[in-house]
Amino acid sequence: MNAPRAPGVTTSAAVRATGLVKRYGELAAVDGLDLEIAPGEFFGLLGPNGSGKTTTLHMLATLLRPSAGAASVAGFDIAASPVQVRASIGLVFQESALDRSLTVAQNLRFAGLLHDLAPRVIEARSRELLELFDLSERRDQPVGALSGGMRRALDIVRGVLHQPRCLLLDEPTIGLDLPNRRRIWRFIERLRARTGMTVLLTTHYLEEADGCDRVVFIRKGRLVESGAPRSLVAQLGRHILEVEGVDLDALVAALEPKLGPALREGDVAHFRYADEDLAFLAALQTQVGSRAQAWRVRRPNLNDVFLWVAAGKRVA
Amino acid sequence: MVLRPIYAVLERELLRMVRQRTRLVAAMVRPLIWLLVIGGGFAAIAGGDYKSFLVPGVLGMTMLFGAMLAALGTVYDKESGVMRMMLVAPLPRAWMVIAKLIAAAVAAATQALLLLVLLALLGYVGRGAEWGLLGAAIAATSLACAGIGMLTASFSRTLENFAGIMNFVIFPVFFLSGSLYPVRELPPVLYWAATLNPYTYGVDLLKHALLRGGAGADFSVPFDLAVLAAATVASAAVASLRFSRESAYEPMIHVPAGRAR
Repeated sequence: MNAPRAPGVTTSAAVRATGLVKRYGELAAVDGLDLEIAPGEFFGLLGPNGSGKTTTLHMLATLLRPSAGAASVAGFDIAASPVQVRASIGLVFQESALDRSLTVAQNLRFAGLLHDLAPRVIEARSRELLELFDLSERRDQPVGALSGGMRRALDIVRGVLHQPRCLLLDEPTIGLDLPNRRRIWRFIERLRARTGMTVLLTTHYLEEADGCDRVVFIRKGRLVESGAPRSLVAQLGRHILEVEGVDLDALVAALEPKLGPALREGDVAHFRYADEDLAFLAALQTQVGSRAQAWRVRRPNLNDVFLWVAAGKRVA
Repeated sequence: MVLRPIYAVLERELLRMVRQRTRLVAAMVRPLIWLLVIGGGFAAIAGGDYKSFLVPGVLGMTMLFGAMLAALGTVYDKESGVMRMMLVAPLPRAWMVIAKLIAAAVAAATQALLLLVLLALLGYVGRGAEWGLLGAAIAATSLACAGIGMLTASFSRTLENFAGIMNFVIFPVFFLSGSLYPVRELPPVLYWAATLNPYTYGVDLLKHALLRGGAGADFSVPFDLAVLAAATVASAAVASLRFSRESAYEPMIHVPAGRAR
């Protein structure tokens, strides 16, 4: 899908943002964000609700004007060439962008014509994509009759009908149950395998971002950590120890000299443990005895990375 | 580049019009009630051929309501999310306004043509009509009404405003025109209001086309056409400007943290 370089193309990155800022009055929703995403990369923009993920995506999609900073998508500057940017991206919003009163096929026809596709092309690609997304049988049903999971899948079909070079997905699995979330991820995988398109997604279900090539964590509009999920998790340690106790403060005070700083989350204290050998932890548990009401050792995941990052602690 | 997107918006509008049959039936029944009931009643007081005088007015009414409802569908599009599909389309935003305007005008003109057939069958239109001028009048009036509709839509954020729009836009535009009475016989304040109302010139044009020798018309044909064209262009320009500002759709796509949806 290497489109010829147009004049004004400045970069080979699929997405590049430098010092991106979006202010709403006093509030900076995005506060000096730098991003660089390579073509074909599967990239996750992670962070809690209200951290500026959606605002970032909407700026990249030319729906919002940045207050400061610059960005380019597929080589086109978002401020100077918004129409070319929109032609090279597919955007799937958090909320549905479909007409519930029209059928599946009519919605895709509408979206395709808006992208200046010939009816013949829309027809052929719709058939192929509906097949890929297990929606072939729903072609002539009104969108209002589809389940939430099917509607989300159709929204993605709608977003890739014009074969964008870069797909922006805003919380693609929000509000869906687990089986449907898994289905959506399977569809995205199939799509990437088929087209090799760059995918930039936001999510706050961090465990879902494990399949990303690279993720960045943002908080209050700022980048706080970035890297491959596996290496971020590995940097955190081999194990996470979760401890609960009646006098948690005393327990933490007793354990910190041996395990390093704890992360308190409600009634639970988290410790990082770098060693593969658990003998030391077992010995420690015996020492602590009944002062610990719960003592769990498990593998870390991206959620842990985020918790440590959010607590302002360096992961590396 | 822009033809297919414009066609997409038009096709969707016509699909919706055909699907919403009650709206279409209402668009036919409303003017007929005015013509037969109100026209019949007033003919008893005013005497003369009041019903014939009313024919251009009710034909205009179909276009005014048809175009306004279609253009205000833009507000529904904002709320339902379809606007999102249009916002990510790769063409300058102004074209979306123009596409919606054209679609609303075509929907309105289609309804006017349907009503025209009914009126002809009932014997209210026929001899004395200037068909070429009538075609131009329907086109120009539909476009101007769609322009007023897009302008209104660009200022309304939610469908809750709908009753307000009905009361403060559609009804005044209809009543402060020559639809029900000759403009020149109105008291001065109402007269000036009517001359400032672009829709007045659409009804006037319809009178030229439908009433023998343009009986009851207040202005000349070229003047009517010029005012309607100017009104269409001006409202399209203002609506495009409004829609190009991100504040026009930002509330729909960006919900600041902490605010309830």
